[in-house]
Amino acid sequence: MSANNIAISVTDLHKSFGELKAVQGVSFQVQRGEIFSLLGPNGAGKTTTISILSTLLRPDQGDAQVMGHSIRRDPMQVKSVLGVVPQEIALYEDLTARENLDFWGKMYGLRGAALRQRVQEVLEIIGLADRANGRVGKFSGGMKRRVNIGVALLHKPQVIYMDEPTVGIDPQSRRNILDSVVALKNQGMTVLYTTHYMEEAQELSDHIAIMDRGKLIAGGTNAELVQLVGEQTRIDLTLTVEASRVLPIWRAVEGVAHVSAEDGRVTVLVADSNLVLPRLFESATRLAARITSVDIREPNLEAVFLHLTGRALRD
Amino acid sequence: MKIFDIALRDLVRSFRSASALIFMFGVPLLVTGMFYFMFGNLARDGGFNLPRTKVIVANLDAGGPKFQTSTKGIPGSANARTLGELVVSILQSDDLAELITVTRAPTAEAARAAVDSQTSQVAIIIPADFSKKFADPDAQATIEFYQDPTLTLGPGIIRSILNRFMDGMAGVKIVVKVFVDAASPQDYILVNQIVRRYLDTSLAEKEDVASALIISRTPTAAPKEDNPLLRIVAPIMGGMMVFYAFFTGASTAQSILKEEEERTLPRLFTTPTPQSTILGGKFLAVFLTVLVQVITLIIAARLIFQIEWGALDLVAPVAVGIVFIASSFGIFVNSLMKDTKQSGVLFGGVLTITGMLGMISIFALNSPGAARLSETVSLLVPQGWAIRGLLQMMNGNNALDVLLTVLAMFVWSVAFFVIGVWRFNQRYA
Ligand SMILES: Nc1ncnc2c1ncn2[C@@H]1O[C@H](COP(=O)(O)OP(=O)(O)OP(=O)(O)O)[C@@H](O)[C@H]1O
Ligand SMILES: [Mg+2]
Repeated sequence: MSANNIAISVTDLHKSFGELKAVQGVSFQVQRGEIFSLLGPNGAGKTTTISILSTLLRPDQGDAQVMGHSIRRDPMQVKSVLGVVPQEIALYEDLTARENLDFWGKMYGLRGAALRQRVQEVLEIIGLADRANGRVGKFSGGMKRRVNIGVALLHKPQVIYMDEPTVGIDPQSRRNILDSVVALKNQGMTVLYTTHYMEEAQELSDHIAIMDRGKLIAGGTNAELVQLVGEQTRIDLTLTVEASRVLPIWRAVEGVAHVSAEDGRVTVLVADSNLVLPRLFESATRLAARITSVDIREPNLEAVFLHLTGRALRD
Repeated sequence: MKIFDIALRDLVRSFRSASALIFMFGVPLLVTGMFYFMFGNLARDGGFNLPRTKVIVANLDAGGPKFQTSTKGIPGSANARTLGELVVSILQSDDLAELITVTRAPTAEAARAAVDSQTSQVAIIIPADFSKKFADPDAQATIEFYQDPTLTLGPGIIRSILNRFMDGMAGVKIVVKVFVDAASPQDYILVNQIVRRYLDTSLAEKEDVASALIISRTPTAAPKEDNPLLRIVAPIMGGMMVFYAFFTGASTAQSILKEEEERTLPRLFTTPTPQSTILGGKFLAVFLTVLVQVITLIIAARLIFQIEWGALDLVAPVAVGIVFIASSFGIFVNSLMKDTKQSGVLFGGVLTITGMLGMISIFALNSPGAARLSETVSLLVPQGWAIRGLLQMMNGNNALDVLLTVLAMFVWSVAFFVIGVWRFNQRYA
């Protein structure tokens, strides 16, 4: 991969707040035109990392290049290629959506007709063209979030940071936002996305870095990460008969890697649940046993996080 | 220019906030209006008057045998042939016309009866031997003062006018007595001259009598001030304007801290806009907001209360001085704050206390004894200098005095501004 393909290159970032080491030795690279997610629980250091990369915070150690500009030496350059969607909504509530976009557009150096036109475009992208003249303070959480994102799109940045842009909003707004992130990528933007929702990271990302307690503990594509815990799907079942009766039979079923029982619940590890599940039902029927519940767990980032830290991703 | 975009955005926000508008324009005009109507209720024909006291005078003075005095400089004195007539002419003078209406009674009984029947509130009876007794160094000239016992204010004023007159007379008498002892008692021409001189000087302050009793006259009264109501209301309006200009300066500058907490300031720092531009825009907004406020208040006060601020070539620098000192003070105090949670301390404490100290000189306008001390105290705070500039201007002090005060305001402003800017720069470095 040539250096030209790298949008963001982060080398050994450190940042402490007093005693607290919020970021300790974070390094990663984001390729141009991809969606890169930082996935981690609350307090992992995602926002701190984003703040350093947007030159709001100075790292204690380490450096990063954004589109070739050092955050230490060329902060202005970095800012001009960058759109930042902060985690906390940062808008003027007493101004309308259009006034907000208009003002922030000016801060990104847009003027006159170009500004007016771009504001209108962004209003349409975020789906608020019909509410353009409403005061932001009167908007719902989801609408505010969308304006919050819109601000970062005004100057068509090459790189956009989105820090947990879907926190605390309704499903429709969330859908709208996730779709627009993909749309941005399709327009050639590089997106650095942070979240503590593993589904989002899984759905959106080309690459994911899992962050915990200031450190990156794993990185790669979704598939690569999942392989860390093996490729097996876990199926948990409960039955109307003693688990011990089905164990020997299910162990012999084709495609089953492992069967165990605990507290009346049977756990089956399989490579492909679509193939194996019908066979499990079939053999249960032959035993005159009924399966009363089935819980299928595809290998996911949740499992990866659990595997790596021994803790759940969400608290 | 981004700096103007930022400033303009802040202006829009300020003027869109109902509470900001109320404190910027509503409260100062309202408080002044309250005083205006409170005192204005007493006003008639646009002038300011206490309720006039009805005085009935029975002047029975037959005059001294050879004693005559013409006291130039005392209103009505040209016609006074006796001392009694002199007293009457003082009471009837134009200056006192705002305070009292004088009618005459033919006899002492008629005068007393008028008070008893409440058609007059005070009867003044000048006895027949008044001039004669005065001319006699060893006798005591007296005036009978007969008043409605339910009244205090009006009669009190008249009594004090008479006391003043009688004090003057007593002084004259001593001089006359000394002279008479030493020289020929027949030399009345000389006595006349002495009496006239004395009355000229001792009663020359007479014109202060009326005004000192009714209104708070500023140390040097504006030359063409003919509506005494304004002498009360104008300093109050000035004080209110200064107090709330500082208030606006501080609350507008507080938007820096507010933006920090609302996260829009950090967001501004993620745009390709230099910190100096961002903070500069915020500071500019403070100046512009206070500027709009002060100009509006000056014009509104002129239109609503007919307040004469002074010559325009002085009003402009004083106004700009107030804008600078109020804005920079706002920036300065906010730069010392940790966050907007401390705004209680800022507005309830710092601004109220310094504002009150600054206005102390207005409250003390009435009491010459306290004026000096209070002016000194008020000059310890920037508000005091702003008020000093306003009062000097309204009192028609010479331009140099006013401009020196404006210069002092600029010195304060620069100090506040430099410290404020330095601290904010540190904070966001
Ligand atoms: N300005 C600050 N001063 C002191 N501590 C801070 C500051 N900013 C962050 N921290 C601490 O640093 C750690 C990392 O915080 P950060 O906001 O980067 O986490 P995060 O991954 O973004 O979490 P979340 O999902 O809750 O947003 C946390 O323990 C936080 O309390
Ligand atoms: Mg965060």
